Amino acid sequence: MSEPNEGHTFKAYDGALSDLRLRAHAMGLLVAEQVETAVRALLESDREAAEGVLARERQINAYQTEIEAESFRLLAQRAPVASDLRMVLAISRAVTDLERAGDESKKIARFALASAGRMSGGPSRVMHRSLRHMAELASEAMRVAVDALDRGDARVAHDVARLDRELDQEFETALRQLMTVAMERTRLLRPIFDTVFALKSLERIGDHAKNVAEHVVFLVSGADVRHAGRDLPARGSQH
Amino acid sequence: MTPRPSVEATRRPANAEEALVVKSRAEGLSFYYGAVRALKDLNIEIREKRVTALIGPSGCGKTTFLRCFNRMHDLTPGTRYEGRIILFPDSIDLVDKGVDPIEVRMRIGMVFQKPNPFPKSIFENVAYGLRVRGLRSKPRVEEEVERALRRAAIWDEVKDRLDSSGLSLSGGQQQRLCIARALATNPEILLFDEPTSALDPIATARIEELIAELRDQVTVIIVTHNMQQAARVSDYTAFMYLGELIEFDNTSKLFTNPSQKATEDYITGRYG
Repeated sequence: MSEPNEGHTFKAYDGALSDLRLRAHAMGLLVAEQVETAVRALLESDREAAEGVLARERQINAYQTEIEAESFRLLAQRAPVASDLRMVLAISRAVTDLERAGDESKKIARFALASAGRMSGGPSRVMHRSLRHMAELASEAMRVAVDALDRGDARVAHDVARLDRELDQEFETALRQLMTVAMERTRLLRPIFDTVFALKSLERIGDHAKNVAEHVVFLVSGADVRHAGRDLPARGSQH
Repeated sequence: MTPRPSVEATRRPANAEEALVVKSRAEGLSFYYGAVRALKDLNIEIREKRVTALIGPSGCGKTTFLRCFNRMHDLTPGTRYEGRIILFPDSIDLVDKGVDPIEVRMRIGMVFQKPNPFPKSIFENVAYGLRVRGLRSKPRVEEEVERALRRAAIWDEVKDRLDSSGLSLSGGQQQRLCIARALATNPEILLFDEPTSALDPIATARIEELIAELRDQVTVIIVTHNMQQAARVSDYTAFMYLGELIEFDNTSKLFTNPSQKATEDYITGRYG
């Protein structure tokens, strides 16, 4: 037996794992972009941007189907173990969260289209600040999580968990403010509802980003921290 | 096809606390072929009624280690043991020169890579060891032969032709006959040296199934080149490299999250 080298003896296996990782990264970047575009469409009543989000949603679904099929094939043909097995599982799980985050972006884009069609103006006028702030947090959480997945870096999982906590707090605050507005100005009920749904979608995107970060912790350390409470352990390092 | 037992029946929970009994313990075991030190200061505990797999690249010493347990090396001139292999509960040192290797082999059976039935009848293959042990009563011998063949999951296939030659059986059946032969003397430890490397996938599955059934009755140590086989059949796995024990752990842990980089590189196929 010769000395260990960087890759697998069977080079095609390296290629397949690397391809899986690259595709998951491309999908993650697209999802992060969808989140940002959908919120911009809502805040700026930009129909074109909203329609672009809806169109690209099909691409996200295609990524999910391809990556899961490839993971399935790798499990069947290569029987991966140890870090390889954890990577295939982590990516498989992450892809589910990414696809759901994509769905939430689609919902936001639909609200954007609906509100842009109403003469009374979009919800952005009511809750502009909260929406923008939550959008920034959700996009950042998603970008950090996607980057962590690509680099196999569990250290940043903490950052994602912190962003997710901020999103949750922001959502609660925004909800209280919106309830006050709703009681005072009933004619704004419809845009307020739209805003609540959009905020909820952003809050969910934060949850999915946190899930992706937890899958990265599993990838790096083998620890399942999904139900370990709010705080992620600082285990593992750059992969 | 025979239905396979449920997962619960064949796998113990990975992290369940078990009252583990140590069946054997290698203490500072080194082994020499002449001047070549093939095993280097091995320390490992073999748990009773569990399956322990030894894995590692060719030449790592896993078969050499396995063969120490029943003193197979005694037949090779110029070999030498250092350290001890304690067999419990009576704490005898298996590699102590004062211990009779024939007695050791009665207590520790072995199944080899290639099925090697005697050129005798199926019945005689199994009865032989019983007679060596001094069992003379014909009904008792018949009873024990049937019991061993049943334990080796081959009784139904051979019960109507016990007088046929053991060599008339298929490769997989021959291997199960050899397992029956090894089981006949009620060994405390059964050693398997790559027992399925000469068998097709179905015959391999039968042997693996058999090992899963035996784990409740006898302590098993298995050397295998097939890592998936180690992952499937064993409770514990030891990874060896260049005569050293690199890592020893629960099989599920070792195959999902090994502690040592060398183990990781080997089981994931990263050695060039």
